[in-house]
Amino acid sequence: MTFVKKYLAWGAGIFALLIALFVALPGGKARGFDVSGFGNLPILEGGRVKPLDSLARNSLLVIHSRQGFRHQGRMVGPDEWILDVMFRPQVADQQAIFVIDDPDVIGLIGAQQKQNRNYFSFADLSSHLDEIQKQASNAQQKKPQTRSRFESAISNLFDRVYLYYKLRNTLQLAGSPGLGWEIQSLGTAEAPLRHQDLIQLAHFRILPPTAGANPDAWQSVGQALSAAQSGVPLHPGLAPLAKMNAAYVANDAAAFNQALHEMNSVVSTLKPGALDHATNEVIFNRAQPFFVGLSIYFVAFLTLCISWIYKPDLLRPTAYALLVSGAIVHTLGLAARIILQGRPPVTNLYSSAIFVGWGAVILGLIVERMYRKGFGTAVASLAGFATLIVAQNLGTEGDTMEMMRAVLDSNFWLATHVVTITIGYSGTFLAGAIAIAYALRKHIVGKADPETEKALVDMAYGIICFSLFFSFVGTVLGGIWADQSWGRFWGWDPKENGALLIVLWNAVILHARWAGYVRERGTMVMAIFGNMITAASWFGVNLLGVGLHAYGFTDSGFWWLVGFWATQLVFMGICYAPARFWMEKPHAKA
Amino acid sequence: MIKTIASRIGAFFKSFQLTIVLLVLLMCLVVLCTLAQVEMGTQGAVNAYMRSFVVMKHFSALPFPLPVFPGGALVGLFLTLNLIAKTLDIKLSWQKAGMWLVHAGLVILFAGEFVAGMMQVDTNMSIEVGQTVNYVSSYKNTELAIIDVTDPTWDEVYSVPDTLLAKGGPIAIPGTPITLNVKQFFPNAELSNLPPGAPPSMATAGVGPGVAIVEKPLVSADNEMNQASAFVEPMAGGRSYGTWLVSVALGAPQSFIHEGHNYVLTMRLRRQYLPYAFTLKQFKHDVYPGTDIPKNFSSLVQVVNPSRQESREVLIYMNQPLRYEGKTFYQASFGKNDTLSILSVVENPGWLLPYVSCVLVSLGLLVHFAIVLRRSLKRRQDKKEG
Repeated sequence: MTFVKKYLAWGAGIFALLIALFVALPGGKARGFDVSGFGNLPILEGGRVKPLDSLARNSLLVIHSRQGFRHQGRMVGPDEWILDVMFRPQVADQQAIFVIDDPDVIGLIGAQQKQNRNYFSFADLSSHLDEIQKQASNAQQKKPQTRSRFESAISNLFDRVYLYYKLRNTLQLAGSPGLGWEIQSLGTAEAPLRHQDLIQLAHFRILPPTAGANPDAWQSVGQALSAAQSGVPLHPGLAPLAKMNAAYVANDAAAFNQALHEMNSVVSTLKPGALDHATNEVIFNRAQPFFVGLSIYFVAFLTLCISWIYKPDLLRPTAYALLVSGAIVHTLGLAARIILQGRPPVTNLYSSAIFVGWGAVILGLIVERMYRKGFGTAVASLAGFATLIVAQNLGTEGDTMEMMRAVLDSNFWLATHVVTITIGYSGTFLAGAIAIAYALRKHIVGKADPETEKALVDMAYGIICFSLFFSFVGTVLGGIWADQSWGRFWGWDPKENGALLIVLWNAVILHARWAGYVRERGTMVMAIFGNMITAASWFGVNLLGVGLHAYGFTDSGFWWLVGFWATQLVFMGICYAPARFWMEKPHAKA
Repeated sequence: MIKTIASRIGAFFKSFQLTIVLLVLLMCLVVLCTLAQVEMGTQGAVNAYMRSFVVMKHFSALPFPLPVFPGGALVGLFLTLNLIAKTLDIKLSWQKAGMWLVHAGLVILFAGEFVAGMMQVDTNMSIEVGQTVNYVSSYKNTELAIIDVTDPTWDEVYSVPDTLLAKGGPIAIPGTPITLNVKQFFPNAELSNLPPGAPPSMATAGVGPGVAIVEKPLVSADNEMNQASAFVEPMAGGRSYGTWLVSVALGAPQSFIHEGHNYVLTMRLRRQYLPYAFTLKQFKHDVYPGTDIPKNFSSLVQVVNPSRQESREVLIYMNQPLRYEGKTFYQASFGKNDTLSILSVVENPGWLLPYVSCVLVSLGLLVHFAIVLRRSLKRRQDKKEG
């Protein structure tokens, strides 16, 4: 019986992994066009070479808040969308993809607010472009912190419209007869003007550096045309691009796929390796390991919750197996990012959320192995789920593998300081989560169970020690990095102060416990407060908008932070709740 | 009696209550200091909250500031005493070896922060490509330089720091026949063209008579600078050379001639001359391809030090400073279309202390947690067997 249960549990885990694998499989062709092959083409944008697919996904995420949309009863994916934007703008312009939530902005473009989310097409917006630009340039003169809701919304809309406009005019000027015609009209008098427009509006560079040129000298279509105008031989990539353009407009899938094949061979001759690297990144994009991971964590958490009231012998191991498979997907995703980017795991706020979640899950797995009471699984799956949700929301602002600014460009310090300090965050959050579990358990389970309680307190205590170590070492390593790059060990910069607060608070908890001022309940209340401090240090600093670490101000983030604090205060209250709720429960003999 | 007081003080300083109260106070200070940075700038907030013994606050109803909170220096001092008392109190046994290391390391860390707070000098050096510079300048402090430029190949510089100017009165300049009579000093002022009909300036020579001056409150934000200004009257050989307005805000040099020596008067950021010189051979500002995102800044510098008979090239770039003769030179900024490199220069005699402390504390925590883990595993083992 137990044998069967064991296999059932692990079967669930393996099933989850199979689903993850299935997600990563390439999609079919759209209307016969090899759109995913098109998405594999490497381009240079934002300082790094990436597949067109990454750009399409990130752009669609910025414009539409999702990586795909439904149009005329069919799902349109990012690769097909970007093909339409670049080669058939007349089709793409009709697709309602611009999300606008602000009622004043909707009023500005002369539309009615509908019940659900409000989607508009570029064609809807095109008659109001001047007004949008005027309002946005007014708004953008103010600092982001001081903008009103309307001003933030209009400036955000303008940025999205401008991104779309640039994409539309990167490979050909929208409204012109196409790239083939552009190549034919080389040498005519008006051509240089159009080349200038193409160079100005180009959002990315798709033509690999020619033999003998600087290896970073990728060219945009405009640059290559302009060079050809002045007598340089035509870039070998232009002809297949023009063929693809013509075939796509003429709805000739076979000719398109043939031209794509030619383009691929041009790319692999000029820049060997770029195509493979791009293909790997596309697989990573498609697999969406962090989205799949958070889904598995969620199922694991639900399974565990059910296990408390129904078939615990079967469901608790099942939840654990699911947690393990979620952790495997999460770990693979993290590893893929490290390999693709060639950097340590944490490089920006987005990746810090992924790593904090990963650390918490791994710690939770260890705790579960040690105590086997299901609490490790519960806390780990919930922490993994929550942090990955945070990461998903942080990742909507563009490329999550952006390049590192000069002072951060140090793999050694990113690997040591940033990683240790982030593990410290993971630990503090996990201790806080265990404390919340302890508080809820005390109220929900009527029967006092000193052994389980003691185990929970021991877990939290151990993890607080662990996080004190990592946050202290991480903070001091940060000081040493600062000494290496700015000339002072400690400058009371907001981010440094945030890290210091975590260290101090963990030290306060441990000293209060050693001195006997707090016992089980007090330690747990303090551990929950640790969540508040860690969240403040992680995100609050960015909200202040001062200091050397103030990267990425997120305006809506403030209210999320306040909301999080409020829930933690409630949990502290629950944990500290009046004694009659639990102290005087009769120790009923089972 | 005395013994009980001493033991009471001892007990006070080694109590856990004190540790916890101080840690919580420090946390409050850190939060306050962080929030205050939005208004006051980092340096201002740090001086007000962290580098002071008591945090003072101005209330509009009162003419003088009131102490409202213990300052960082006070908390730090008590925490250090608490730490030392605790460290001495920890039993010298192998069981406590980890704790001993941790607390000793923390004492060193605090000492390092005190040394940095008291003795660290921050200056900078701006060099244009091809230029040779043998001094570093302060960020905020100023000086009045009197430069004898008679010899075209050699400038003889005499300087009076702003702190001395602030005291006013006559200042004899050693090495010269000049005595400087400081008539008025403004720590911060705003200059403008003297409007017609306005009361005449105190100045009688140089550009001063055409300039109106208004005193301003001192500023502390990181991107603002105090425009120190003064009215000075150089006297030499029993005669006055008129009253001159000198100010950081004035660009044009002003000079007078005494007994064949040409003296230039200029108010500038305080300089410290070095026994060696840097020549900027090349400055590079790399960006990621196709973007403006900076990838690296680097300065190729020729260091010439006659006293050491040394002349070598050094590349200073991000995260790779030059440590030389007790000073550390960092790539900090740039300007003038990438032909000007600004190096920030730090002199901190205690820069090694945090490194020592880091090693001690990490080692201590590892040792301690290893001991605790061993003990708890043993207890589990005993439980299983028993």
